[in-house]
Amino acid sequence: MLLRGLTWLVVFQLLGTALNVLFLHLLPGPIIGLVLLLGYLIWQGEVNEPISVASSSLLRYLPLLLVPAAVGVMVYAKAIAADFWAVGGSLVLSVLLSMLFAGWMMQKLIDRQQRKREKADV
Amino acid sequence: MFDFAGAWQALIHHPLFGVGVTLGAYQLAVAAYEKTRWFFLQPVLVSMLAVIGVLVACGLSYDEYKQSATALTIFLGPATVALAVPLFLNLKRIRQLFWPTLLTLLIGGVVATGMGVLLAWWFGADHMMLMSMAPKSVTSPIAMLVADQIGGIAALAAVFVLITGVIGAILGPELLRRIGVHHPAAQGLALGMTAHAVGTSRALQEGEECGAFAALAMSLMGVCTAVALPLVVALFT
Repeated sequence: MLLRGLTWLVVFQLLGTALNVLFLHLLPGPIIGLVLLLGYLIWQGEVNEPISVASSSLLRYLPLLLVPAAVGVMVYAKAIAADFWAVGGSLVLSVLLSMLFAGWMMQKLIDRQQRKREKADV
Repeated sequence: MFDFAGAWQALIHHPLFGVGVTLGAYQLAVAAYEKTRWFFLQPVLVSMLAVIGVLVACGLSYDEYKQSATALTIFLGPATVALAVPLFLNLKRIRQLFWPTLLTLLIGGVVATGMGVLLAWWFGADHMMLMSMAPKSVTSPIAMLVADQIGGIAALAAVFVLITGVIGAILGPELLRRIGVHHPAAQGLALGMTAHAVGTSRALQEGEECGAFAALAMSLMGVCTAVALPLVVALFT
């Protein structure tokens, strides 16, 4: 099961890579693979067992797979130190402001949708 | 006599050394996180620091480590493809709030990405830093891929993503409640969109609906960023 699902995922990623080289240079191969798989799932209407098993196993260990790339930060310690306050300040400010904005907007839209529904019911 | 120095060198330069160190560090980090449940003890962050410690102590370069850790990183591609599954499962759940979700994701996503870059530019960060910061609101595999594509550095993007997620998850829910955002779908969406996986795990603690919307927002935001950001950058530079 796991191996069959994994094979599917690899096939979609390789298809994505081929398409990336052929037409879509701007999008990374794995992202094209993701969109292809999503299209396939929508077409099928459900997630079959092998793909479900493989994807949940892989995604469970996603943080582990990211560690080697994160370690690369040791090479850029100097660059980070140079821009430390600019980067830190803008990260903190932008995450808080954009989160509040998104929450506020969603809340307003939900309220409006509910008011409209109530009116429609009356 | 025994050649201890030779054995040590053979050990630390073996192609499996990097894999072993990473696996060990990750399990320790996960154990520490599960024991304490502290938000800032994110497994990726803690294992990153542990691995860097070991590499520095053994005098190994990042290039050598990267080479030996390929056995792990090669699976990042299929894992990114696998993100389609939670995305698909979540898409089925949001029928009711389709338009509010879509509008918030589109406008909020532009605000989240644009504001980070604009602020950092205004504070005087250089181009490479800006491009590594742009995908900060999305989950790390996508952020790292995108940063790499648009002229940033994947490792830096990973760190920025992590900082963003941890700050958002720690301060987010309380601040959202203060400004009157009380619908679980709105809280979840805001958390998942801006603080990706860390925000989503925080949202899951708030409740099922909150968690589901966070997961949905995280995956949609990830895909949209992956598709749109490289295009936008290519058009403007």
